Amino acid sequence: MELFTPDFGLVFWMFVAFLLLFLVLGKWGWPVIVKSMNERADTIDKGVEYAREAKEQLDSARAEAEKFVTEAQKQQAEILRDAAKMKTQIIEEARKEASEEAKKVMDAAKVSIEQSRKEAELQFRNEVSRFSLEIAEKMVRNQLASDAAQTQLVDKLLNEIEKN
Amino acid sequence: MSTTTGFPYASIDIMKRLLYILAVLAVALGYSAPSYASSGSDEEVDVKEIIFHHLGDGYGWEVPFAHVYRIPLPVIVRAEDGQWFCFSSSKLTEVEVIRNEETGKEKEELVPVVYETERSGKTYRFLIAHVSTHKNKVVELFPISDEEQSKVAADASATTDGVVSGYAEYKGIYYREYKPVDLSITKNVLALFIAAIIVTAMVMSVVRFYRKNGMKAPRKGMGFMEMLIGFIYDGVIKATLGAKAPKYAPYLLTCFFFILTMNLLGLIVIFPGGANLTGNIAITLVLAVMTFIVTNMMGTKHYWKEIFWPDVPIWLKCPLPIMQLIEVFGIFTKPAALCVRLFANMMGGHMVVIVLITLIFIFAAFGAAAVGGSAVVSVLFTFFMLALDVLVSFIQAYVFTMLSTMFIGMAVEDGHGSEHAKEEAEQIDSLENKLEKQTK
Repeated sequence: MELFTPDFGLVFWMFVAFLLLFLVLGKWGWPVIVKSMNERADTIDKGVEYAREAKEQLDSARAEAEKFVTEAQKQQAEILRDAAKMKTQIIEEARKEASEEAKKVMDAAKVSIEQSRKEAELQFRNEVSRFSLEIAEKMVRNQLASDAAQTQLVDKLLNEIEKN
Repeated sequence: MSTTTGFPYASIDIMKRLLYILAVLAVALGYSAPSYASSGSDEEVDVKEIIFHHLGDGYGWEVPFAHVYRIPLPVIVRAEDGQWFCFSSSKLTEVEVIRNEETGKEKEELVPVVYETERSGKTYRFLIAHVSTHKNKVVELFPISDEEQSKVAADASATTDGVVSGYAEYKGIYYREYKPVDLSITKNVLALFIAAIIVTAMVMSVVRFYRKNGMKAPRKGMGFMEMLIGFIYDGVIKATLGAKAPKYAPYLLTCFFFILTMNLLGLIVIFPGGANLTGNIAITLVLAVMTFIVTNMMGTKHYWKEIFWPDVPIWLKCPLPIMQLIEVFGIFTKPAALCVRLFANMMGGHMVVIVLITLIFIFAAFGAAAVGGSAVVSVLFTFFMLALDVLVSFIQAYVFTMLSTMFIGMAVEDGHGSEHAKEEAEQIDSLENKLEKQTK
């Protein structure tokens, strides 16, 4: 039965030892450990949260960037299309203008050609009339070299006048 | 395939080698046994004495491989007239050489001796009583008159063990004994201090680590400590007490680590360990009383209401206070169960190991083969038991802490929890009913 009867001395010392241990660890031990462990757990939680948020932000930033890129591409395509359109327009306009100009130049040329033709015609006419006069004069001179011919002609002319 | 078959082959090889070693051990023991048997035949192996010696306390601490030498420890006693005495336990024993007449062999034995000291003209005598009602405890002795002596001797001869209440026998002479107030630093007390120092060192090393390294996580041994702390704090204390956890955590964590350290120290057979601390009812009693004090000191109005006016049909509590009786009884049985559970588990483990070892010596009477066989079997079983005791050490520390937490949790909850618990119980009931129906 010795085992089942608590010994006073041991009870006393156990009480002392336990109380001392409890006071020492309760003051300097456990609170520090529990606090540190909690703090670390909080830090880790915060870190995880932070990482999650950062990932989210990164994802959204990436999505935004992609959006920008697609928009830019769209704009680029539009600009290119506009440019192409403008190019054809400009070419068309230029062509039209050029043809107009050409037509104008042609017209002017035609007018001047007409004028010079007319001038040439006139000159030619003058020339022709002068030549014919000269020829006629020469012919007349030739024919009228004799006096008889001259008188005949005068007669003839006079006749004509008389007839009239 | 070749890699997977390698392991079983290796293990078979190891098993073979182990068996071989064990066989050699058995044969060697078998040869040495006859000499022991012949010399020990005249003295019986007192199994009860051995077991109680190992489970109990002592004024000195045994040293391995030395039968008669003990590490002396201070004995602190208060004599009958109120004087305090402090002296070394080595003064209470002496080594006596016992000569066996038949074989001529000499054997050293540690025997108790009276320690006499004088103070202000008065002689004080102290002895570790053997034939007395205070066996193995220090008692103060007073010589008695011849007349009384013969009377006590006559009384003693009427008993089988010669124990007369109030008297102690020493070398054939009876003395009147007085059991002094005994605050000696015994083996158990020293082991207690060692355990407390180890716990402090372990906890403070973790604290120092945090102070020095801040947020870094400790590794190896300290990591294990932290894992245990987390296991108890988050898994038990926080889970049960919730927001009140930080208030009670120091007590409960101290309990857990102190019990665990004492349990494990008890399993180490040589010096710093070997004291059967948690298998001593004084230790577990103090621990249980602590939980009792915390539980009832911190008990809320709700807790006391549940005891004196519980939520049961009126005829169960009035006019006959049946429930009150049960509840008040329950206040005391809870810590008592704590005390006995830890004590019985740890003492049981120690006892089984000792019995298994003493089996070898009991079987010595039956010859060499019996000793050899029993040695092998005993050692194997002892090994298994000690491994089991390591597990039990942890489980019992955990169970004590968990139950203490639950008792405290029940005492400090302020009424809202009980409804929740009831709901939970109903849920469990309905689930069980469902299960029953399904099994039918």
